[in-house]
Amino acid sequence: MTASESNSLACSRVRVLLEPYSDGALAREDRQQYDALRAHLAGCSDCRLQHEQAISLPFRLRALSSPPPPDSLVAGVMRTIASTRLATRRAWTLLVPEAALATFILWYLSGLEGITSVASGIVGDLLGLAGWSSGSGSLPSIPHADVLLLLALIALTAIAGYHLSILIRLTPAGRTGSGARRAASE
Amino acid sequence: MSDSRHWAWPLLIGVLAAIGILLAIADIAAGAKWPNPMSDALVGPGVVVKAGVPASATPGTQTVRFDRTGVGEKFVFDSPIGGFGPLNPYQAVRAFLSSGAGLALLALAGLVVFPARARSAVERLEDRHGTEIALGAGLVMVLLTLAAITLLRFTLVFLAVVPIVLFVALIAALFGIACISLAIGRLLRRRLRLPSVHPLIAALAGSLVVFDLAVIPYAGVFAFAAAAMAGLGLAVVTRFGSAAGWSFGDLNW
Repeated sequence: MTASESNSLACSRVRVLLEPYSDGALAREDRQQYDALRAHLAGCSDCRLQHEQAISLPFRLRALSSPPPPDSLVAGVMRTIASTRLATRRAWTLLVPEAALATFILWYLSGLEGITSVASGIVGDLLGLAGWSSGSGSLPSIPHADVLLLLALIALTAIAGYHLSILIRLTPAGRTGSGARRAASE
Repeated sequence: MSDSRHWAWPLLIGVLAAIGILLAIADIAAGAKWPNPMSDALVGPGVVVKAGVPASATPGTQTVRFDRTGVGEKFVFDSPIGGFGPLNPYQAVRAFLSSGAGLALLALAGLVVFPARARSAVERLEDRHGTEIALGAGLVMVLLTLAAITLLRFTLVFLAVVPIVLFVALIAALFGIACISLAIGRLLRRRLRLPSVHPLIAALAGSLVVFDLAVIPYAGVFAFAAAAMAGLGLAVVTRFGSAAGWSFGDLNW
């Protein structure tokens, strides 16, 4: 007597049901068919082999569908494996325009005296603003700034922001390098 | 663990405290002169009265309600080196117990409140070129903050944002100094081969090192500015010690 004859389920039907059987879905949804399939597997070596393959990890991994890679994958990988030497050099060279702009702003504001005047102006205007909000004074009059000065300040802000982004990228986030090794050894 | 190793940490902390007080005495004697015009900010003004002359008899000084005993007036000695102010150990102890303790408390509070973030930041600091990157980022952040504040100064609406910017920068610098203190404590443990200890004890020793650096006569202001800048840079580079760091992935969906 063959295995197929000894059970009510045909081998072809068993092959179809192997997937929900392995997942446990068949046991939840159709107990009768589940018992029949178990009995069939006990007696049919071909189907038992198919079942063992179905529940093996490599087979199931191969059966998984691969999600499409994100558009930024290549750019991200290239950025990660790129040498940091270029970024380090850029981090140093950016100090030059920053220093030049800071010197220009300092000169434009008449040196430290001008900076002190800006600082005291901020404090005075803030106090004026607080007085106005409490109803004991009028709104402070904000001085008009030179367009060249504003452009220099915006340029310095932009370059400094870009510089910061380079410095942040110089060491990858997460536990890498000696810190991680030391932490692991501890 | 032998007895001598058991006492290593208290001994180290005691030595660092003593060094801090000695340096503070020297800093007070050096006075608030160039290149350290801000020395008063950390160690307090040098008392110009001498032993035997009550403070109330000296013009410009007065007994304040927080110093009723006036013990300090009895411990002022002439400087053995010409050109320097009097030696005032009492004032130095007072500076250590106020500024030093304040610095240590703030550092420990930062570590207690944000332990995971502090660990992430310290790991970054201990990484390759971590100190240089933190210092560089701090320098850039100072430039960025100054430029942004000057820009905001010329608008009435955003003028009110200036204190918030300064407050955030101060918090970032304090968080960074707390992390630097812990990193220094861990460095001391490795270099001096000290036994394992609670991280807050190590951070306390580290914060005392920062205080000692800050009260070095003349150079203290530069050392403390460097520590504060590195702290600010570290906080910015690690986004306050965030495990994920800076990422714009959420903006790109």
